[in-house]
Amino acid sequence: MIQSLANWILSFDILAGLGNPIAWGLSLFIVSALIFVFVAVNAIVLVYIERKVSAFMQVRLGPMRVGKFGSLQTVADALKLLQKEDIIPRSADKILFLIGPWVILVASVVTFAAIPFSDTLLAADMSIGLFYVVSISSIVVLGIVMAGWASNNKWSLYGAMRSAAQIISYEIPVGITLIAVVAVVGSLNLQTIVQAQGGTGNLFYWIPLPLPNWFIFHSPFLFLAAFIYLIGATAEINRTPFDIPESESELVAGFMTEFSGLRWALFFLSEYANATLVAFLVAIIFLGGWQSPFSNYAGAQIGFSILTLLAVMWTLFVKAKTQRLSFYPLGLSLMITIAAWLFPGFAIWLASPGLFWMLIKVGSVIFLLMWFRWTFPRLRVDQLMYVSWKVILPISLFNLMGVAVWMWLTGEIHF
Amino acid sequence: MSYFSNITNAVGTLIEGMKVTMGYFVRPREHVTLQYPDEVWPIPTRNIGVGELDAYNTIRSKLVVDIDDCIGCKACERACPVNCIHIDTYKGGPDEDLGTTSNGTKIKLLTASFIIDMSECMFCDLCTPPCPEDCITMTPDYQFISNDNLKMDVTPEQRWRDRNLLIYQFSKVSETERQQRKAQAEAIAKAKAEALALKKAEALKAAEDKAALAAAEEAVTAKLDPTSAETVSASESVSTDINSTGSEVKVDIPIASVTLAETPVPAAEPVANTPEPETPVAPGDDISTPDSSENLEDPTTKESENG
Repeated sequence: MIQSLANWILSFDILAGLGNPIAWGLSLFIVSALIFVFVAVNAIVLVYIERKVSAFMQVRLGPMRVGKFGSLQTVADALKLLQKEDIIPRSADKILFLIGPWVILVASVVTFAAIPFSDTLLAADMSIGLFYVVSISSIVVLGIVMAGWASNNKWSLYGAMRSAAQIISYEIPVGITLIAVVAVVGSLNLQTIVQAQGGTGNLFYWIPLPLPNWFIFHSPFLFLAAFIYLIGATAEINRTPFDIPESESELVAGFMTEFSGLRWALFFLSEYANATLVAFLVAIIFLGGWQSPFSNYAGAQIGFSILTLLAVMWTLFVKAKTQRLSFYPLGLSLMITIAAWLFPGFAIWLASPGLFWMLIKVGSVIFLLMWFRWTFPRLRVDQLMYVSWKVILPISLFNLMGVAVWMWLTGEIHF
Repeated sequence: MSYFSNITNAVGTLIEGMKVTMGYFVRPREHVTLQYPDEVWPIPTRNIGVGELDAYNTIRSKLVVDIDDCIGCKACERACPVNCIHIDTYKGGPDEDLGTTSNGTKIKLLTASFIIDMSECMFCDLCTPPCPEDCITMTPDYQFISNDNLKMDVTPEQRWRDRNLLIYQFSKVSETERQQRKAQAEAIAKAKAEALALKKAEALKAAEDKAALAAAEEAVTAKLDPTSAETVSASESVSTDINSTGSEVKVDIPIASVTLAETPVPAAEPVANTPEPETPVAPGDDISTPDSSENLEDPTTKESENG
């Protein structure tokens, strides 16, 4: 993407004199800025959505005062955080205290370089993209330990040590789960992984139910692997069922306790960047990335007709549960279905891969993460370790073996 | 095999919990937080027993007077059991037209100041029936709030200003004119009192003179003393002088405009029995005494020394 952007810059007569190196550097800067802006705006939007989702799940209204339905609340919060005083505790390790949040932020933003947003929107097409993402996102733990140690506060240190133990423990099952996927594709390139999931096939190879060729439908083992990965990744990004590093009821705010103002905002930014990254990885690895769920326009028409039927059932279910009629899902799917049947162009657009499908999938996974967060209680430290070493790790090892056997059975690999 | 039953149990309960939260997520949100300034609870409608059920006859809250209709009879002031109504009335000039009420009654007294102290009012509604013009009413306005910035910047030291903001003043005239009328009325009263005193003194002197005259008459029966007659004439001239000055004081002030000020007067009339303002306690003053802060700091330094 960077080289093509540089070529595009050089195609203008006025800018042609810049030369390739300068144009390349300029496009590198533009792409990095775009990624950072994406991460920042994404955090602002996600914080608002998270507050609304949590409120709706707890029979509240959430932010309502700033803007229509409180839509500008997080913008106001961000502005407030930028204006706040940056307090550095007297007995803190100044250098580490100043570096820590930036290490975390850089580690979580840089990973987006390898994420394919669509078939063309990709900052760096790396042959080891998955390995790069997993290894770089592990640097976050370094920043957390830095921040926790530099704060010279027992809560911060507890939080940092817990975080380190947790992330290192969950790296192993997550890594093994990803190896299972890599074994199926035979490549670490994220773009190749997405491209391998195009087209339509049977569910679990033999069950005659035409579904997209996503890896979540590849085999029962990869179906399980998707959830194992989701659980492990939730633990790695310190989200709520596994949020013991910053558990509010025990450790004030964990490693974030002593931070204020902009530095605290950086923690928040990286937290949501990490959540988005996990959602992107789940979407890319298991849900087909930017691939459309429909292989052709007839598939889109039939698929949305089925979705409309499901929406009718959903409406009836809600009616039975709450004695209320809510037509939003039904109306939306009905509109899309009618449009797909009336305008073949629209159906073809729906069947074609693109950023739209990627964002839909990422949004669903993020909603799932939020749903987890506002439902599940926090695990105790020993339970956390039990889940990692005694439950998830054996299952992921079993998965890896099962995937190998499955591929031998389906004839995808030969010994 | 408690290992596998544990896992299945955990997964089952997690799914059960997710069902519960999703149920709440899709449920229409009713009976949730009231968005207060935008929406308020409906005021309960009931008859308090006075007249027909209308806007003024629902619940008893903020006391409001229609100052245009007030005739300054002070019936409400007398009826108030807690003395929260303070009325200041002045007589109009000889040719001054003070208007009529909506009932057609001619107003004879100018209500210069009608103060209702809502911080003392106990909402008994005893002041409304005696009013002959039905101009003092209890309105259903229970929110003693305003968008006035005056209320916003109240520092803890000025907390008792809030109480002054509950004192509502109604007036037909401006504050300066009220002061003028007050001074004028005081001057008249003073002049009258002086005149009265002088009259008394004169009467006393006349009585003394009479007594002296009688004594003199007693002493010298045939002879007439010219000095006593002189004194009488002198005293008469003094009394006429006083009368003339009294009429001069009565200056006619044309009433320029009738102001209807329903504004709370901050510290316009300092209430005599205002309780002493509590000394503001700074947050954390009682928590972080010097000793405890030392205790908090000690362990960290010790740890660092040990480590």
